[in-house]
Amino acid sequence: MRARVLLKFAKILMLSRLRNTRRSFLSNSITNRPLLIALIGSIMFVAGVGFGTATVSFLKGAGASAIDIGQIVETIFGGIPIFLIGFFFTMGLLWELNASSESESADSINWLPISPSEYVLASTLSTAYTYCPLVMVTVGYCLPIGILTGNTSAFLVLVLASVVAAFIGSVTVEILRSVLARASVAFNKVGGRLMIFLRIFGMILILLFTQTLFSGFLIIRIINSVSNAEATTVLVPLLWPTLSVTSVLRSNLLGSASFLLLSLGFLATLIFSAFGLRSRFWVSTLPSFHFSNVTKISGMSRLSRIGVSVISLALVRREIRSATRRKEVVRLMAIPIILPVMISFPALFSPAPTTSAQSSLISPLFLAVPLLFGVGLGTLFLGMTSIGQEGKRLWNLSSLPIDARTIVTSKIVFTSLISTIGLVLGLGLTVVFFQVSIMDALTFIGVGITLVLAEASLGVAIGGRYPDFSDGPRPRFVTIIGSIIGAFLGVVMMLLMSLPLLFLLLARVFLLLPFSLQLSFFLGGMLGLIFARISYSLSIRSVDGILRELPN
Amino acid sequence: MDFRSPAIEAEHLSKFYGKVLGLDDLSLTVPTGEVRGLLGQNGSGKSTLLKSLLGLVHPTSGWVRVMGIDVQKAPMEVRRLVGYVPESPRLYEFLTATEYLDFVADVRGIGYEEKKERITRLIESLDLEGKQGETITGYSQGMKQKVAIMGAILHHPKILLMDEPLNGLDPKSARVVKELIHSLARDGVTTIFSTHVLEIAEAICDRLTILQNGRILAEGTAQELREKAGLSNSGLEDVFLKLTGTKGVEDIVEALRR
Repeated sequence: MRARVLLKFAKILMLSRLRNTRRSFLSNSITNRPLLIALIGSIMFVAGVGFGTATVSFLKGAGASAIDIGQIVETIFGGIPIFLIGFFFTMGLLWELNASSESESADSINWLPISPSEYVLASTLSTAYTYCPLVMVTVGYCLPIGILTGNTSAFLVLVLASVVAAFIGSVTVEILRSVLARASVAFNKVGGRLMIFLRIFGMILILLFTQTLFSGFLIIRIINSVSNAEATTVLVPLLWPTLSVTSVLRSNLLGSASFLLLSLGFLATLIFSAFGLRSRFWVSTLPSFHFSNVTKISGMSRLSRIGVSVISLALVRREIRSATRRKEVVRLMAIPIILPVMISFPALFSPAPTTSAQSSLISPLFLAVPLLFGVGLGTLFLGMTSIGQEGKRLWNLSSLPIDARTIVTSKIVFTSLISTIGLVLGLGLTVVFFQVSIMDALTFIGVGITLVLAEASLGVAIGGRYPDFSDGPRPRFVTIIGSIIGAFLGVVMMLLMSLPLLFLLLARVFLLLPFSLQLSFFLGGMLGLIFARISYSLSIRSVDGILRELPN
Repeated sequence: MDFRSPAIEAEHLSKFYGKVLGLDDLSLTVPTGEVRGLLGQNGSGKSTLLKSLLGLVHPTSGWVRVMGIDVQKAPMEVRRLVGYVPESPRLYEFLTATEYLDFVADVRGIGYEEKKERITRLIESLDLEGKQGETITGYSQGMKQKVAIMGAILHHPKILLMDEPLNGLDPKSARVVKELIHSLARDGVTTIFSTHVLEIAEAICDRLTILQNGRILAEGTAQELREKAGLSNSGLEDVFLKLTGTKGVEDIVEALRR
């Protein structure tokens, strides 16, 4: 193990993260240097100290008893290590899911003399350092709480436990990475279409799991288990850093030291496992799918009978294959499916009174609003990435006789198809939980489809205006500026579409006019169609510009 | 087919990438059925010229006509007639060779029976049988090049623009492609062929155009270029080095060895 190589390599990986995140945005500035992270961390530490001091002042000013304060301190201190493990793991995993297999296989690291252990440690260090501002803010927040509530020793243990937790989360990603790479190659060789399906399903499950982790419910449930001293918690290694902190808060110094040592041992085990797995399983070859060697040519599709051209069908078929077979694109496709589910979670699981839900004004259809917001956002982001993901393969489209209108139509059709899956999924959940009427369900689907069309068209327009064709290790497909403008316009569009709902509600409250939710949704849908038409024209203009001049 | 009429005409073509010069007031005429070789050092403008002919880059000034069609005014019409093989073909690696060719055929409007017959024949001819069911990701450089060439000739183009098409091809496939270009030329297909391999250029091309700094430095048959360089009995490599003014190769080698 060469410490110099390790640190140098960790720095390179960190630069890769930084510059891929900020590509084409504030270049040649401090934002492109690792020092930025330390700077952000320091600022967040100071901010954390301020918030922590304010928290203690608030608690004491509100007259909280020592027992209450003790419980709050235990929840905060105990929650931090388990939260950090989840956070570092999730952020590392999301980074990994964004990685382009093509770039990874061509990465010079594959042929430079860097040992598996050096790679694992450097990558872990880079993940831990990149997201260390979160550790800094939590430590800063807990510093005044620890000192002012007489829990200084617990604070010191917390600092150690937090660092260990951050490394546990980071190194777990390395383990997953090697295993996934190996499994992917092995299964792809034999799996064909079944593997494609499993990969998409797996990706959606991973994203759903990681999103659930941040819903807060899970962490509170875990802390309750620890606080209630449930015996099974000591058997879970991921909880050992948390237990080392809660033990010292209960004056169990021996227990605290034991759990801290156990945490370090667990981390060491993970690191050595990651070394072994990397050296044994890491493969730098691109995973390729094998299908039947029989030359199977696409025939006449039924869709052509309703006027869809052969070229449009060929493009949509290509979009579907791209989305299901490219690792860096699969996760994008999961967004419109996951977002509505995640956004509707709180609505579905909150204890809403059923009586009011059946009243004429507060219809279950109101729940469609947050759900549609999720569908709209997911559609927008998928649409925004649809042009940039052509990458250096853009010449294929540019050199073929395909006009901008056909390309835009196929992109919008594909984005809308995927988003409609999320829409139907959301509708299914709403129907199951709230027994909505057929009329309401139809209204929901109607307005949902217009929203999908509007956001997909806007997404493609923005994606065509601000494409990012660079095939970096972590392709983003749309520039940062484009993402910001797109997100802003997308939200404004949704707000405008919900204006009829607001006006009709106000008319009912102030003018006592009859209120029809269906009517307001219908008007919103009409607005959506108008926005879709405008965005469609803008998309054609953007894509036409790209086809006229192949980006250099 | 009128073999004397120009298939490609470019007049006073200039292209700037920002401040960087790609083409500098270049004029070129290629008659129908001719195989024209483009030679030049790296960055001399060969790829930019080929892209301009297809309308993939917008010239800063000048115009291009392909089979009498103005590329800037009707790029779609030109793309229907042309087959293009780029220097580093980035194909849709998530598709299999068959799926890629099927896509190209659909876009080019080739009917079911015809595309099936053509794709099957091309896959057999260029030795991709048994590999056509694998995604292009797993292909070697040469196999990808073969797929790009198949995609370019699938629709029986009138014009072929090929940027280093023999890169990575095995000797047999390279020979097949060379013979194919000759055979297509006999049928009136015009080919512009960019290469760094001078022996290949001499063997395949009817006429050669040497580019330097975005301008045409010399033009003619291999023999005409020899005479122009005053090296009647020399190889084309010496002719090229003399015409492009490349000097001191020995010094460069020595510097690299040090």
